[in-house]
Amino acid sequence: MSGLVREGWLGFREFVGTFGAFQMFFFRLLPYLPKALLRPRLIIEQIYSIGVLSLVLIMFGGFFVGMVLALQSYSTLVEFGSADSLGAFAAEALVRELGPVVASLLFAGRACSAVASEVGLMRATEQISALELMAVDPIEHIIVPRFIAGVISVPLLAAIFSTIGMLGAYLVGVHLLGVDSGAFWSNIQVRVDMYEDVASGILKSFVFGVSASFMAVFEGYYAAPTAAGVSQAATRTVVIGSVWILLIDFILTGFMLPGV
Amino acid sequence: MVKKVCDFWSDDAVSNLVEIKDVRFSRGSRMIFNGLNFSIPRGKITAILGPSGTGKTTLVKLITGQIRPDDGVILFEGRAVCPCSRQRLYEMRRQIGVLFQSGALLTNLDVFENVAFPLRQHTKLPERLIRQIVLMKLQSVGLRGAWEHMPSELSGGMARRVALARALVMDPKLIIYDEPFAGLDPISMGVIVQLIRETNDALGITSIVVTHDVAQTEILADQSVLLSEGVVVAAGTPAELCNDRSELVQQFMRGKSDGPVPFHFPGPGYVEHLRALASS
Amino acid sequence: MHQARAIDLGVGLFILLGIGSVLFLLMQTMGLTGFISGNTYRLQARFDHVGDLKIRAPVAMAGVTIGRVAKITVDPIDFRALVEMQISLKYDYLPIDSDASIASSGLLGGKYVELQPGGDLEVLKDQDEIEFTQSAILLENLIGKYMLGGAKE
Ligand SMILES: Nc1ncnc2c1ncn2[C@@H]1O[C@H](COP(=O)(O)OP(=O)(O)OP(=O)(O)O)[C@@H](O)[C@H]1O
Ligand SMILES: [Mg+2]
Repeated sequence: MSGLVREGWLGFREFVGTFGAFQMFFFRLLPYLPKALLRPRLIIEQIYSIGVLSLVLIMFGGFFVGMVLALQSYSTLVEFGSADSLGAFAAEALVRELGPVVASLLFAGRACSAVASEVGLMRATEQISALELMAVDPIEHIIVPRFIAGVISVPLLAAIFSTIGMLGAYLVGVHLLGVDSGAFWSNIQVRVDMYEDVASGILKSFVFGVSASFMAVFEGYYAAPTAAGVSQAATRTVVIGSVWILLIDFILTGFMLPGV
Repeated sequence: MVKKVCDFWSDDAVSNLVEIKDVRFSRGSRMIFNGLNFSIPRGKITAILGPSGTGKTTLVKLITGQIRPDDGVILFEGRAVCPCSRQRLYEMRRQIGVLFQSGALLTNLDVFENVAFPLRQHTKLPERLIRQIVLMKLQSVGLRGAWEHMPSELSGGMARRVALARALVMDPKLIIYDEPFAGLDPISMGVIVQLIRETNDALGITSIVVTHDVAQTEILADQSVLLSEGVVVAAGTPAELCNDRSELVQQFMRGKSDGPVPFHFPGPGYVEHLRALASS
Repeated sequence: MHQARAIDLGVGLFILLGIGSVLFLLMQTMGLTGFISGNTYRLQARFDHVGDLKIRAPVAMAGVTIGRVAKITVDPIDFRALVEMQISLKYDYLPIDSDASIASSGLLGGKYVELQPGGDLEVLKDQDEIEFTQSAILLENLIGKYMLGGAKE
């Protein structure tokens, strides 16, 4: 038991310790961003491999989360005679919370781990040194395109997740549970607010995209050049990335919810 | 007045492409180079020999500016290699081709794109010209037929030949080969030796061959530098080295296990070590 | 080259899909969809109190959504809540003596405007005002009254 506590303490210390390294790496990336956007070829390739290839998982996830959400909230709502609000309930939960958070978590597991191990393996097989020796900046060529691609992909994936989730909720709510179709949509329009809900959802997913993608390139770039180092980079990306997403979500929700 | 390292200029730059002056370097408490001095003449093939673990790969990293010496200076074309200015470093590296021991091809690109990579990064040549140059370089290493293969589909020797084509594609002034002969079959070995010689003479470039293969060095090199214990122990033509009287040089050139070069990594005595382990 | 085009196509579709989703979410929440953007006419009604009726809340008759609340203001003369509604032109046969009340869909549901048809043969037209209204029943007030009443006895 004390071993576990010790592990936890060490983990926590490391977590805090890497914070400084995060900052330094982040400020190293910043000046590259405008330049990278002028050469979109590499970014497009990365959007393909981390965004487009995550699409099926995200859509699948969104669909099922939406359906479960409808089933789950129906039983509660019907007791208060408010089954018509099912659509609004599901939509609000999806747009504000579940879309950004679950899509980002899925993204961290599917794409960020892949990026971390890919970059880590490039370091282990001396490809990063080879780039340096060919006078090609690995940060510009490897790191920044992956980072930007992640930042672009996550908000899009989150929006797709929410939309598909609403369709899932619609299918269950209207076709399975018999909620009136007009009431389903019109309640969404009344209850879900464009600025408060949709905009805050997009903002959240953007912030999650930045932190998850950053974790991936950071861990990959600083991976130890060994088999264990590469696998550890992938694991840490998913674990620390997910913790970050949940932590930031809590903070942002606190700031954004009116009256909290 | 103290001269800043980055402002260092040399007057021998006409005859020597690379000069290494009083270089000291240590990893942790382990001294790797302790006042290294030699120069690499233009247009020649220089072999750098030395027992395993003397720091030959480290020397390559120093010359290419991946690490900086603790003391002393390395000059390329009479200008100091200084990792302090990224721009100057990259400008210098464009004139250097490095052949890694492992090849270090980019695994997400096929053979053709790997060789074309430096051209695409540093030039704005039209596609047609790039194709011609790349196919020519691949032809010279005998792998034009494999242009569509991915690096994972190549053998170690083939990968190294592709890497050689890539190192040559920018027509560098200096090309550094790190262990080009390790793990090659006799035919490939012959091919690589010939390639190194031909590219050196035909393109008029300077070559550094890092190796411990004495036999190939004798055929290939114009000049050899033997490193040991952090200093140059002998330098000269291969013939001169072979006739050197020094016991250490003889040991290395003849491949004797017994002699001044220790076979063992420094550490406590064997018996002592076993005792210490047993009592702990 | 062939592969590069496939990648471009995939990325293009992905971005379109993503932007389409964002637009879908915005449209759903802003009420840009449905008949509301089609042909409508306007009705007004004055209430003593609208409760937490919101803009875009449905206007229903016999449970069927026929329109939407467009605007809620306070009348500068009599200080009552002035609710403007957009009603679909499909429903141009509402009797002129219909009455409007603010109802809620269940305990957790939002408020909406419920129209009760009257018996007059004359129908409501654009910019007409519904005369008979019934304000929102405020749950808090009901509970408060009940509790105070209970305490007095
Ligand atoms: N990253 C490192 N950290 C610490 N020590 C290192 C590192 N890389 C190399 N060394 C040490 O530096 C010494 C020289 O290593 P180097 O790779 O330059 O040897 P080498 O001459 O190329 O050997 P070989 O002929 O076997 O390739 C070795 O003794 C090694 O222990
Ligand atoms: Mg070596």
